[in-house]
Amino acid sequence: MFFLRYLEREISIHPSFFGNSVHQRLKDQLYADLEGSCNGEYYIVCIMDIYNISPGRVRPGSGDAHFTILYRAILWKPFKGETIDCAVSSIKPQGVFCEAGPLTVFVSKLHLPPDMRHNPDATPPQYSNNAGDVIEKGSAVRVQLIGLRSDVGNMYAIGKMSSQWFG
Amino acid sequence: MAASGQSWLNQDFTGDDEESDNDFNPGLEVPSDAEADDDEVAKPQASARRAGSPSDDESAADLKTNGKRSASPVKGGKSPPADDDEGEEDEGQGEDDENGDHNDEGDEDEGEDLNGDEDEDEDEEDEEDEDAVTSRPRKRRRRGLNQFFEEEAEVDEDDDDLEAEEDDLGPEFIQDTHPDDDLPPEADQDDRRHRELDRQRQLQQSLDAEQEAAKFRERYGRRTTTALSNSSFVPQNLLMPDVNDPSIWGVRCKAGKERDIVHKLMKKFIESQGSRNPMRICSAFERGDGPMAGYIFVEARRKVDVDDALTNVADVYPRSKMNLVPVKEMPDLLRVTKNKELEVGGYVRIKRGIYQGDLGMIESVETNGLEVTVRLVPRLTYGMDEDHARPGSGDVKRKRPNAFGPVNSFANRPPQRLFNENEARKRHDRFLQQNRGLTGRSWSYKGDLYEDGFLIKDFKLQHLITDSVNPRLDEITKLTKTAADGSELLDLESLAHSLRNTAAEGNYVPGDEVEVYEGEQRGIVGRTEAVTGNIVSIMVTEGELTGQLVEVPVKGLRKRFKEGDNVKIIGGSKYRDEVGMVLRIKDDKVTVLTNNSNEEITVFSKDLREATDAGGSGAGASKFDVQELVQIDPTTAGCVIRADRESVRILDQNGSVTTRIPSQVQKIEARRNAVATDKNGSEIRLGDVVRESGGENKSGTILHIHRGFVFAHNKLGIENSGIWVARCTNVITTAAKGGRITAPSTDLSKMNPALQMKGPDMSMAPPQRPGRDPLQGRFVHINKGTYKGHRAIVKDTTAGEARLELQTKNKTLNISKFDLSIVDNNTQSKTRYEDWIRTRGGPSAMRAGQGVPGSRIPDSGFGGRTPMGVMDGGRTPAWGGASRTPAWSGPGSSGSSGLESGRTPSWKGPSGSQTTYGGGGMTSYGGTGNYSTTGSRTPVWNAGAKTPYGADHGFNSAGNSGFDSFAAGSRTPAYTSSSRTPAWGGPGNAASAPTPAARPYDAPTPGISAPTPSASGRYDDDAYTPYMGAPTPGAGPQDAPTPAASFAKNANKEPLKYNRLGFDAPTPAASAPTPYASGAFDAPTPAAGGPRYADDDEED
Repeated sequence: MFFLRYLEREISIHPSFFGNSVHQRLKDQLYADLEGSCNGEYYIVCIMDIYNISPGRVRPGSGDAHFTILYRAILWKPFKGETIDCAVSSIKPQGVFCEAGPLTVFVSKLHLPPDMRHNPDATPPQYSNNAGDVIEKGSAVRVQLIGLRSDVGNMYAIGKMSSQWFG
Repeated sequence: MAASGQSWLNQDFTGDDEESDNDFNPGLEVPSDAEADDDEVAKPQASARRAGSPSDDESAADLKTNGKRSASPVKGGKSPPADDDEGEEDEGQGEDDENGDHNDEGDEDEGEDLNGDEDEDEDEEDEEDEDAVTSRPRKRRRRGLNQFFEEEAEVDEDDDDLEAEEDDLGPEFIQDTHPDDDLPPEADQDDRRHRELDRQRQLQQSLDAEQEAAKFRERYGRRTTTALSNSSFVPQNLLMPDVNDPSIWGVRCKAGKERDIVHKLMKKFIESQGSRNPMRICSAFERGDGPMAGYIFVEARRKVDVDDALTNVADVYPRSKMNLVPVKEMPDLLRVTKNKELEVGGYVRIKRGIYQGDLGMIESVETNGLEVTVRLVPRLTYGMDEDHARPGSGDVKRKRPNAFGPVNSFANRPPQRLFNENEARKRHDRFLQQNRGLTGRSWSYKGDLYEDGFLIKDFKLQHLITDSVNPRLDEITKLTKTAADGSELLDLESLAHSLRNTAAEGNYVPGDEVEVYEGEQRGIVGRTEAVTGNIVSIMVTEGELTGQLVEVPVKGLRKRFKEGDNVKIIGGSKYRDEVGMVLRIKDDKVTVLTNNSNEEITVFSKDLREATDAGGSGAGASKFDVQELVQIDPTTAGCVIRADRESVRILDQNGSVTTRIPSQVQKIEARRNAVATDKNGSEIRLGDVVRESGGENKSGTILHIHRGFVFAHNKLGIENSGIWVARCTNVITTAAKGGRITAPSTDLSKMNPALQMKGPDMSMAPPQRPGRDPLQGRFVHINKGTYKGHRAIVKDTTAGEARLELQTKNKTLNISKFDLSIVDNNTQSKTRYEDWIRTRGGPSAMRAGQGVPGSRIPDSGFGGRTPMGVMDGGRTPAWGGASRTPAWSGPGSSGSSGLESGRTPSWKGPSGSQTTYGGGGMTSYGGTGNYSTTGSRTPVWNAGAKTPYGADHGFNSAGNSGFDSFAAGSRTPAYTSSSRTPAWGGPGNAASAPTPAARPYDAPTPGISAPTPSASGRYDDDAYTPYMGAPTPGAGPQDAPTPAASFAKNANKEPLKYNRLGFDAPTPAASAPTPYASGAFDAPTPAAGGPRYADDDEED
């Protein structure tokens, strides 16, 4: 699900960068750091605008200046139980890997529609049933997320396709 | 008479028989039977009863004597005052009840026979009487143990009969016929019984009245109520042994043999029963391993009986002092300690022998509880340790046969390995024998039985450790049978069972969601609140019991998970510590997709615990992490694809998968900056995405580059955790790592790299020569001086001199390097040092100039460049002294680009950004070198570069602040760092240096115009105006930068695609450097270009 959210980011800057371009630098840094990143809970798709850059506070001891930047960003946070559309990225005997944007979703064979059979001989390998439905690399599929795991800077999900309301 | 007596007895006891005796007796009887059977240690019963157990007849008789002895006085005494008053009668009856209860245990045979008779006619009783009469002589015959008691008993019985009859007939009847009439004559005379009655009454009265009342209430209330606790019914103090009971003697015996002896005694006892002089002991027992080890206890009336019983029994020493156990201590002697039951499938450890400490699994337990059959992993040598050269009899002579004999010591026992009949056949064929039947996998070898590779051996219980065995997983897996197809038949159930005792509490922690699947509360779902021992308190969360606290034993409980839950595997399975997501749940089997290896595994839910959603592999399980690079042997490296507690699975560089234990492999320090070239010659680094060329066309990001092998990881890969390996030359890079060229972001938390350069520049030390002088260790020929013609080995070098060790004399001396010729080891040909150092430079310059551009140079170029530095240093004096022109012009014609490019970086060696810059500069110069191959031009540049340098310095220090710190900073260091000033200045003190510089200034104008744009392209626009202004030609090219700049812009715009543009198509000399300027200037350019990005984007 997508969200528009105000967020904060703290950036330290070395005294050697002080100057009239310091704000530009902070912005660059913010864009470079955050756009497209994942904090384990959500992905930051895009930073819309920067609202406020606090006055820098020099840290005693190091001399670094500390800025707090308030910005607004579009986030994408996948939820357990959410149904999303994704593209199949690879077919394995154990199941199907799909990609929904940055998120990789694994759909185990157990959670594919029961009549779908793995067909390794087809090129490319595919899952298919007698009705002529085919899941192969590149297919667009609709998947319900049943589990999410977050690593540092990455997320990983398992999903299922065996429920009924998946057109 | 007798019959009526019995019925009286019965009437008294009917209640007992039905209610209490049935309950009460089993407690006493059943164990005694059991004792007779298996003779466990537990012998809590009264001695008299135990004595009876071996043979029923005897015991019955024996007990009866006892019982009647105690019962008779009461009844005898009771009969006279029977009609005194009711209360007294009650008391008497109470007394009778008590005694009767005791008796009844022994008398049960009879009692039960008579149970049905209680309300029947006298006719039948008469018949019974006859029976009783007929049976009596038989009893008498059989007994003969104690004549006196027997007679008493007989009389007593008559008494009983009488009493019973009276009771049967009811009070009226009693009044009709005075009881005294029917008494046998001796009853009157026996006042001993009166006295005894009195004594007992006294005793009775001395008892607490309240207690007594309670006792009565219980006794008589019992008839109406159906169930009562029986435990309080038996007054323990009346069961206590007293002086009249047989005594117990403690007899010394061999420690550890106690139980054996008791068994022997029992056997002997049974055998002796038919013989002429039977053993007259009541019981024998032992107290096991505790403080009373080395003793057995025999209960008998006389010490002589004990002696008789123990003669000719091995291992017991009746001749030693026998201890008579005081009456007080007897009960303590019989206190029961519950000992652990051994179960088949349980785990034990061996106490001694070569299997000491080894884990074994119980195959079967002998019924006597003495011996246990244990399954072990054998430790066999198969005779490999025997010395075959020595005749077998050699051992006989040896004083210490074990010194060199088969290894028996604990320290160097053979390792645990499954039995292998082939190995056994090699040397010990004669000891080997296959057992018929069964599976055919059963062998006898040296008297031991081996099944499925395991040793099946009987152990005495005392040689086993049964408590706190704590089996480890590796031990268990070793003991686990493997099926024919190689799959492990690990019986999770038995394993869980054996682990339950140790880990049961740990398995459930408060907060676990659990479900009851067994027992009364089946179906309840809740969260655990508390765990005490094996009982778990559950707060019910679903159903009608919601909100209640329920206590459930652990065994009926299982944890509940939902699909998609993150779980960690705990407990004893081999997947321990794996973390994964629940895929499917069926009953209590849960299928989990592991995080590490994307495998689907199925485990019991009790072995799972909920994990946090945050990933992280099973940390702490193994010292290795998945994807880590490890050394398997000196020539083989591999990548960890799975790390367990006990094993590491490795994909080695050849693509094969091996499993090692963690101690067999070592970590390899990851080289963060490892670089290699792919099939097309493009460089690949860690983190790059590569595709396998040919084969399966696998793709992945590079994890490690190790000696020409690339370990890459494909996130979607299933086999080998997605890790694959290929040779560097078999992969093609598909995309360079984003951050390398295109997004060189500045780390704002570090020193501004632009500024950072400047400080050191100002006071730059003479160039350092990185690395080892290649001259060191070389074989040289001395050309000049005293030692001319000698050969020597270079031990050490300074900038100008070499320290030599002469071959002919033991002497070391210092000689100028230029007085040396280097002798080739193979051809013995001599090369002058100047030439040698040049040729050494040549190839590396070739390498650099070949169009191997940009960022590759830092790597390959470094090696090549190192000699350059040396050469430089080495040449310094040469430049000073000898004319530089040939040195320069020479390369100018032959490989000017090479030499120059080689040299340039050498100046710039010390800093990273410089180096790349140098790289850039180099190539561009190569270009210029090609343009106009006049030897003179090279100095031109040098001079030009040099001259502004002076100016530059001043300029920098002065006007730097006005610049964009970036532009100034970045470029300045690039230039400054090269700090030609000192480097050149040093040698350049020879005024010859500037002179050529001055000369070419005007002369090769076209030449200079060509390179300058490149330079200006690099300098971009604003910063160097003063510098540009200074040299006339410099001003000209000022408009030249425009294309360069625009080019840079283009490069910035589409960085990903064209980042290598410069390398691939270095057509115009000017364009070649430009990308360097934009891309390869690690720090500065991007910084300069950085803001521009955004601009560009917006414009677009």
